[in-house]
Amino acid sequence: MTEAVRLQAVAKDYGPVRAVDGIDLSIARGQTVALLGPNGAGKSTTINMLLGLLEPTAGTVRLFGGSPTEAVRAGKVGAMLQESGFAANATVRELVELARALYRDPLPTAQILATADLADLAGRRLDKLSGGQTQRVRFAFALAGNPELLVLDEPTAALDVESRQAFWAAMRRYAATGRTVLFATHYLEEADDFADRVIVIARGRVVADGSGADIKQLTGGRTVSFDRAGTDLDMLRRLPGVVEAEQRGERALLRCDDSDRTVRALLAEGHAWRNLEITGAGLEEAFLSLTASAGKE
Amino acid sequence: MRAYLVFELRRLIREPRMAIFTVVLPVLIYTISSGSSEEAGQVGGVDVAAYLMVSMAAYGALVGALSVGIAVSQERANGWLRQLRITPLAPTQVVAVKALLASLLAIPPVVSVGLVAAFAHGVSFSAGQWVALVLLMWLGSLPFAAFGLALGFTLPPQLTQPVSMLGVFGLAFLGGLFVPVAVMPHVLASIATWLPSNRFAELGWSVVAGQAPPVGGVAILAAWALIFGGLAAWAYRRSAALR
Repeated sequence: MTEAVRLQAVAKDYGPVRAVDGIDLSIARGQTVALLGPNGAGKSTTINMLLGLLEPTAGTVRLFGGSPTEAVRAGKVGAMLQESGFAANATVRELVELARALYRDPLPTAQILATADLADLAGRRLDKLSGGQTQRVRFAFALAGNPELLVLDEPTAALDVESRQAFWAAMRRYAATGRTVLFATHYLEEADDFADRVIVIARGRVVADGSGADIKQLTGGRTVSFDRAGTDLDMLRRLPGVVEAEQRGERALLRCDDSDRTVRALLAEGHAWRNLEITGAGLEEAFLSLTASAGKE
Repeated sequence: MRAYLVFELRRLIREPRMAIFTVVLPVLIYTISSGSSEEAGQVGGVDVAAYLMVSMAAYGALVGALSVGIAVSQERANGWLRQLRITPLAPTQVVAVKALLASLLAIPPVVSVGLVAAFAHGVSFSAGQWVALVLLMWLGSLPFAAFGLALGFTLPPQLTQPVSMLGVFGLAFLGGLFVPVAVMPHVLASIATWLPSNRFAELGWSVVAGQAPPVGGVAILAAWALIFGGLAAWAYRRSAALR
């Protein structure tokens, strides 16, 4: 069994609203996968179905060949949910010890505290922690049992830049031990930097699946920018290869999925322009054009 | 499951509010009310000091048993119970631990009010009576533990607290814990005998009178345990249902 996660035609309706609209995906053991998408794309719903906290309206979810609940009971899964609270009146150490006691083969306490950067806070009461510290406790609770699959829903949402870096460093160390990690994020650079594989979700569907580089290539996303010298923005928007056009001061910024065609047309149609620049798109541009095309259907 | 029970017990001991409502308050009411009624003689064949001791112990036990429902409601709202559901701990084990905790909270008021009664108000029983008193009041608190859990798995935290308080006061007052059933108007008195709070305290009153609890009373209490237990199970399933 080399497959950690398998979703087949998974859909979820909330009343008349379809939050997840038929997702198929398979994650091999040992992969670090990012689930990337804007708010409301269906990331959390997908994760909750994957953990057995929500029943799919249609389709099947399998973890390590069994049902999510079986995998969770067997201690194969650790998860960090969005905004989950803790019991009051307990200390960080007590919570970590509780998590260790619930799993068959936990990590040593000292290692958990060090990984989550909590060694200095072990004696602190849970209700006396800052938002960032609480987030690290959630991480500690999720990894304490040394689970084969670690699921993290928007793990860095409450963190400042510094703790964000520390968090990803810890996550990398964990993934390096051969564990499977699945994390949801809407930070594009995080998905690009920390995942072997990026699955882009928009409007409840998988719109792209590959490495960060694959996704950029898939859209061919580049930005063409120039001083537009009076040329009408709507006109530019209609040029071939343009996904989106916007104006920033005097400059026109064209997000393109085929910048070669765009530039050729720009020359051929004789529009006025100066200081032309073509830049490779980051994942952000790729992501925007993917999301936009999912909406056009 | 043992680790979770220990974790919960440790938290409970740190909660000062709990001690105030389940120990200090019943002892205080007991001291005040039995101090003013020392010459009243007997109620239902029992010295007033002993009768009131059981009433106040029962009242404290009600408060204690229902308080766990308030915690459940809060932990449901803040996501902690959800977090526990993605660990190997089975959800039914969580519920079992909560029910056990709720019933255990019935013990401190019985012991503390009992101690004050023995040392300050000259109430004296055999060791066997003390053991029977604590044991029966512990087991007898189960319907209230279930009632608390039913509320906690149904209501949001803002509502669980006031509704629990209302439940405790209603049950305590109508069940004859504040005013003995013997001096209640006829209608209220006949209602009282059907209430779990009255039959719960009756366990204690029987023990201090040196008698076995009446079978009819135990049956009524058991029926309430089934009703509240069923409600709690239903409420739990509803709250944990996969939607």
